[in-house]
Amino acid sequence: MRRFLTVLLVVTLVLGTAGLVLAQDGDPEYGGTLIYAQGADADALDPHMTTLGNSADVIVNVFDGLVRFKPGTTEIEPALATDWEVSDDGLEYVFHLRKGVKFHDGTPFNAEAVVFDIERQLNSDHPYYLEGAYPYAGFSLGMIEKVEAVDEYTVKFTLENPYAPFLKNLAMFATMIASPEAVKKYGEDIFKHPVGTGPFKFVEWVRDDHITLEANEDYWDGRPYLDELIFTVIPNNQTRLLELEEGNIHVMEGLNPTDVERVIENDNLDLLEAPGLNIGYIALHNEKKPFDNKMVRKAMNYAINKEEICKYLMGGQATPAKGPLPPTIWAYDDSLEGYPYNPEKAKTLLKGAGYGDGFEFTLRTYSAPRAYNPVGSRLATAVQQYLSEVGIKANIEQLEWGTYIEEGKAGKHTAAFFGWIADNGDPDNFLNVFFNSANQGSTNRAFYSNPKVDKLLKQAQQITDEDKRERIYKEVQGIIVDDAPFVFLNHMKMQIPIRSNVKNYVLYPTNNKYFHKVWLDQ
Amino acid sequence: MNNLEKNPEENEVKSESLWSISFKRLRKNKTAIAGIIIIIVFTLIAVLAPYIAPYDPFNQNFIKSFRAPSSEHFLGTDEFGRDIFSRIIYGARISLQIGFIAVFIALIVGVALGLIAGYYGGWIDMGIMRIMDLMLSFPYILLALVIMSILGPGIYNAMIAIGIVYVPQYARIVRSSVLSIKKKEYVIAARALGANDSRIILKHVLLNSMAPIIIQTTLSIGRAIINAAGLSFLGLGAQPPTPEWGAMLSNGQDFLRNAPWIATFPGVAIALLVLGFNLVGDGLRDALDPRLHK
Repeated sequence: MRRFLTVLLVVTLVLGTAGLVLAQDGDPEYGGTLIYAQGADADALDPHMTTLGNSADVIVNVFDGLVRFKPGTTEIEPALATDWEVSDDGLEYVFHLRKGVKFHDGTPFNAEAVVFDIERQLNSDHPYYLEGAYPYAGFSLGMIEKVEAVDEYTVKFTLENPYAPFLKNLAMFATMIASPEAVKKYGEDIFKHPVGTGPFKFVEWVRDDHITLEANEDYWDGRPYLDELIFTVIPNNQTRLLELEEGNIHVMEGLNPTDVERVIENDNLDLLEAPGLNIGYIALHNEKKPFDNKMVRKAMNYAINKEEICKYLMGGQATPAKGPLPPTIWAYDDSLEGYPYNPEKAKTLLKGAGYGDGFEFTLRTYSAPRAYNPVGSRLATAVQQYLSEVGIKANIEQLEWGTYIEEGKAGKHTAAFFGWIADNGDPDNFLNVFFNSANQGSTNRAFYSNPKVDKLLKQAQQITDEDKRERIYKEVQGIIVDDAPFVFLNHMKMQIPIRSNVKNYVLYPTNNKYFHKVWLDQ
Repeated sequence: MNNLEKNPEENEVKSESLWSISFKRLRKNKTAIAGIIIIIVFTLIAVLAPYIAPYDPFNQNFIKSFRAPSSEHFLGTDEFGRDIFSRIIYGARISLQIGFIAVFIALIVGVALGLIAGYYGGWIDMGIMRIMDLMLSFPYILLALVIMSILGPGIYNAMIAIGIVYVPQYARIVRSSVLSIKKKEYVIAARALGANDSRIILKHVLLNSMAPIIIQTTLSIGRAIINAAGLSFLGLGAQPPTPEWGAMLSNGQDFLRNAPWIATFPGVAIALLVLGFNLVGDGLRDALDPRLHK
């Protein structure tokens, strides 16, 4: 009898513990409000009217694309399109659309809606085309010659040239599909009224304060676990972390490198980390003196101690950049030496370029931290000091972000800090964005122009064989590192601190924040 | 005739004795003396900065970053490994410079406008003073921000912006003294003797409204230093790597919990220097107030 009781006790204990474990890590719970804090507000909530990460993070939760990234990767899986065929010449893409999907305003999703949404960006004769309103359309959809509705649930894209990363572009936030009825209803104000097919519906946007979304009960991929999702704006990194520690918010971006330890030591918080697909750089205006001289540009690269910046200023959360691509992207050339810190070599190069006595220039910077630069304008201060040691005098000029980007596009800077986070995981999304001379005036902020690079980039877009593309991209990296249109600075680790009761939150290489499958352990 | 000539002279004798009485009163005021000592100490620090500062205020040395105050680094180091004590010493130069230059701009422009408005009256007075009222209807820092957005960021632009913002205070003070002085017998007498406008304004009117101007100047130097620190705090004033106290304070707020010394000491420096000017200003007000003279 006693033995029986002992066995019973043990069995009960084991089952009980198992049950507890299951309850803890097992079934997701429905309900609750999750608050995600960003450092800055969104600028527009229409997928096509922004390039800003803060906007994209909201957009990916309200909208869907034809395809989407598998969680935590840049691999493609079906979304609003269930399957697709690509012609052998790589020019025609036929997508079969998901049936029975409705936009949040009740408008049915079909081939007409897709055609409408693409054409309103590309076709200047379209009744809802807005001049100058689509900053990313050239990159993401510019290769499309025409788009047609074959039948209600089939849509066909014809490209001008083969374009290897096309499917990946269709998974980007910038190509997600908006309700045509909403576009007609709101006109120019569509950027304030996002209506998509996504897991969350838009409720309200109070500028510089918060954006509220609610669960889409009828979502085609299953209702999200959360009832409500709020994006709130807290500009100061420390204040934001305090709010997280107090439990007033659940997930945040923008962690100071000096606060990493605090998050790790706090039992109520988890730190999610992944290598970032990003780069921070200084765009040297290649057409302006003295940066029209390659030797000066090389000297700038040698003069700045990136290792020290990454180790100390960025708290060891960043790695020095050797070239334009992050090491975790395919086609990265690991054999590149880059520009290790060498002030003597920098001085020799300057002498050779006729600047033996140094020179003075204006170095522009933004103020607030960004995902590729956690220290904001402090980076400029550090760079200024390194440059002064080789006789270069940099006068720092700090501009407000909106003006900064506009003037950066227009090339009003001599040298300015920028950065880039992968939007589709393809090297084209770095190299073509930065160095194609056609992108001067938008994303080619060094105003770099090299016919050979232009040709190679085009060639790489037009073949689908990844090995061949990789070879071309390695050649391009070699040319770019030698030409040094940038000062290649750093690649920042992705770090998102969350409350421990936030479950199933997955980091995406694009750094966008997806909340469909996230749930709160309450 | 004799009488008329005597009048201004008598007045000068009387005002001299007022100054000397005031000086005696000031000397007895212990808090004012403390203020004067603070200002003198900071001025000495500013002048002798290169000899006092133990380190180069710009020297970046990451290996020494975030060091707490110690015998090696008296007030610790910042995130670039720069010595905060040395930066505060050099910062005294900038803050004093801002205080004096900004107030000097306000003084010259404000006093001129106030004299003209008060002396000539009529439409000129209306025009000038309504503009002054308009400027006063904005909070100081907001108006300074508007001017900075036109001029662009930078320490000299900050001095100009603060100078402009302070103009109306001087204009108003001077105008009201002018209004009371210009009706005085000695002014009427001077005019009757054929003195021209500029002589009357400078010799009689301005000289006799000096007391409120001096008080206002002392008090506003302190306030100008605070406002300049505010502009730098917002990123509009001193640009990196300038060791301006407001900019250092702003920079330190990101490390308040890990390295509180980075923000604390520049804050203490601002508070001390401003306190110095305020104590002296208050002391002067008491000393120069004729109603307190027995």
